[in-house]
Amino acid sequence: MVTKETELLDEIKSEFKVDGRVQRKQRIWVSTDKNKLIEMCNWLKDHGFVHLSAVSVTDWLEDGKYELTYHLWSYDDKILITVKTKIDREKPTISSVMPIWEESAQIHERELHELFGVKFKGNSDLVPLFLEDWGGPPPFRKDFDWRNYVREEYYSKENEREKVYYD
Amino acid sequence: MVKRSKKAKTMRKIIKAIWIFNWFNSCGFIELVPLVGSRWDMERFGMIIVGTPRHADVLFIAGYQTLKSIKRAQRVYEQMAEPRVVIALGSCTMTGGMYWDSYNTIKRLEDYLPVNLYIPGCPPRPEAVFEACEKIFQHVKELQ
Amino acid sequence: MIDEIEPAPKDSDYDFYFGPAHPGSGNFGVKLKIDGERVVSARADPGYLHRGFEKLMEYRTPIQNAVLSDRLCVLEPLNWNLVHAEAVDELMGIDVPERAKYIRVIMAELSRIQSHIIWYGVFSIGTGFDTGFKMAFGYRDYILDLFELITGGRVYPAGYICPGGVRRDFPNGARDKILKVLDKMDEMIKLEELENPALDVRAKGVGILKVKDAIRLGATGPVLRGSGMKTDVRKDEPYEIYDRLDFEVPVRNEGDAYARYWIGIEEMKQSIKIVKQALEDLPDGEVTVPEFKRPKVKVKMPQGEVYIRNEVARGEAAVYMVSDEGSEPYRCKIRGPDFLHMIPVLECLLKGAQIADVPAIYWSLNICPADMDR
Repeated sequence: MVTKETELLDEIKSEFKVDGRVQRKQRIWVSTDKNKLIEMCNWLKDHGFVHLSAVSVTDWLEDGKYELTYHLWSYDDKILITVKTKIDREKPTISSVMPIWEESAQIHERELHELFGVKFKGNSDLVPLFLEDWGGPPPFRKDFDWRNYVREEYYSKENEREKVYYD
Repeated sequence: MVKRSKKAKTMRKIIKAIWIFNWFNSCGFIELVPLVGSRWDMERFGMIIVGTPRHADVLFIAGYQTLKSIKRAQRVYEQMAEPRVVIALGSCTMTGGMYWDSYNTIKRLEDYLPVNLYIPGCPPRPEAVFEACEKIFQHVKELQ
Repeated sequence: MIDEIEPAPKDSDYDFYFGPAHPGSGNFGVKLKIDGERVVSARADPGYLHRGFEKLMEYRTPIQNAVLSDRLCVLEPLNWNLVHAEAVDELMGIDVPERAKYIRVIMAELSRIQSHIIWYGVFSIGTGFDTGFKMAFGYRDYILDLFELITGGRVYPAGYICPGGVRRDFPNGARDKILKVLDKMDEMIKLEELENPALDVRAKGVGILKVKDAIRLGATGPVLRGSGMKTDVRKDEPYEIYDRLDFEVPVRNEGDAYARYWIGIEEMKQSIKIVKQALEDLPDGEVTVPEFKRPKVKVKMPQGEVYIRNEVARGEAAVYMVSDEGSEPYRCKIRGPDFLHMIPVLECLLKGAQIADVPAIYWSLNICPADMDR
C-alpha cells in the first residue's frame, strides 16, 4: 500500500542509499553514516522539516559507541522522521547542525555536551548549563553508577534512618 | 505573676504575627501558594509574604534543594535578623525522599542550615503548615 | 547648576540579576545588562532544580516510573503522567480499554484547566492586579478537591494514569460533582473576562514574537499560536480519543503578551467543552488491562524504541524511550516545552525591552522551571 510515508522513505533511499523503515502512521526511522548527516539534514529542511523536536544520545556500553538521534517534524506533511548515527564513545566528536536549525539546535547541543561529553564542531557556546563546579565525569554515562556514588558521598551506615539504603 | 527572663519578654513582644520570606523553591511551594489565596487565607492570622529577608521572621525550605540552590539559601538565611525560624517541609529534607539516588540533590538539610521544625508529607497539606505556625506561638508563650 | 545634565558615559551598563530570591521570578535566574531603562542583553541561568530525571528512570521499573513522572512539572502532573504511560503502552504493544481512554482524557483536561488558572493568577500579579491572583487560587481549589476524591492526592496523584489504563475507576457520584465544578469554572471565566484598563497598557504591544522567529527558536503551544500559526498536537496527530471530539484551536496574529493571555482564557473554555462531551459518551467496562491488574513488580519490555508527542498545557512534550529487553528502560529522553521557551525565546524577547515590562513578558510565556531542568 502506497502512503505518504512510504513515498518519502523511497525518495530518501534513492537519494542517499541508507536503510530505514516506516514504523506506523506518521513515524519514519532512518539510519545513516556520520559523514552524510549534514547533507541529509539540509535536504530534509528544504523538504519541509523545519521543526527540530529533540536531539538525544544513547550510550551503548558494550559496543563502545554513542548513538545520536535527531527527531524532526514537518508542519505541512505532518510526519516525524528520526535520523540516527553512531560515533565513537571515547572521543565523541561530530559537526554541529547549528547552521541548519540555529538557536534551537544550539541549546540541545549545549545540554548534551555537559551531560555526555560530546564535542560539537562549529558550536561556539558550549559552557556548562545546569551544573556549577562539578568536577566529576559526565554524569549520564553508563559507567558512572549513581547509587554507589550517593552511598559514599552522602549517606552513612551508622545512621539509624539511612541503614535501609544499603541493602 | 510569673517571672520571665529578658529574652522571653522581648520574644513575646516581637512575635505576634510572623512574616514569611518569598523563597518558593521546588515542589513544596505549590501547597504554600493556596495559603495566600482566598480559601486558606493566611492574612487573617497576621502572616504576609515579604520580598526581602531583612524583614522576615520565618524561612520555609519547601522541598528538595540542589547544590546550586542551597548556597543561595544559606546566604538568605544569614541576612535574616534574630529571632528567626527555619521550617523544613516535605520528606526530601529529612532523608532525601523520592530522589535519594540523585547526584545533585542534598540529602539531610540539617547539615547545611539549623532546622527548628520538620513537617512530613509529599507535599504537606495547608492545614499542616498552619499547625506548624501555631506551634511557634505556643513555644513563645511557654518561654521562661 | 542643574541646567545641564550630561548623558552617562559610554559603556556604563550595569549588571542586574533577576534571580531566584526575587519575588517576581520563580526558581530561575536571568542575568540582565541594563543601560538606563532599557535591557541591552539577557542571559539565562538555569539549573536550580536539576535532579537528573532521565537517569533516575533507568533504575526503576515502569510502574515505579509512573509515580516519578508526576514530579516532572509540578503545575500539571496528570498531563506528564499521560505522556509516560502512552510511551510504555506503545513499547509493550498494549491496547488500553475504551473506558480508560475516556477517563484519561477527562483527567488530563481538568489538569489543563487548573494549570491555566495558575497562569492567569501569576500573570495578574506580574501586571499589578493582586485581586486576580487571590481569586484565581480560590477557584482552583474546587478542582483540587475533585482530584482528591478521584485519585487520592490534591497535587500529586501517585501515578493515577499508569501503563495499562488507570489505577482505579471513578467512585460513585463523581460524575455529578464534575459537572458542578465545571459550572463554577464558567462563573470564574466570566469574572476573568472583565479586564482592568491597566492590562491594555501593560500587555498590548509588549514582547512581540513573529512567526518566523518563533519556529526558528523552537517555540510550541500557546506561544506559537499567539504568533499566528494554527497547530496543535491534539489535531495533528490525535492520541487517545481526541479524533472523536469536537473542539477548536484559538489563534491570534499579533504575537504580543496580550495575545498569549487571551489564548489561555479561550483554551479553558474549549477544555470545559471537551470534558462535557467525554462525560456524556463514557462507556462501561474495565479500566485496566488484565496483565496489569495485580501488578507484578518485574514486567519485561520487548526490544524497540518509540517517540511519543503530546500537548501539555505549555506546549509540545515528548518522550523517547529505548528498551533492551530488560525490566527497566534503557534510555528515556524527555523533551519539555519550557526548555526552548525559557532559554532561546526569552533571551530574544528581552533584548531591547524596558525594565518595567520584564515581568509582563516573563510571565506571559507560562514558564515552569521544573520541566526545563528535569
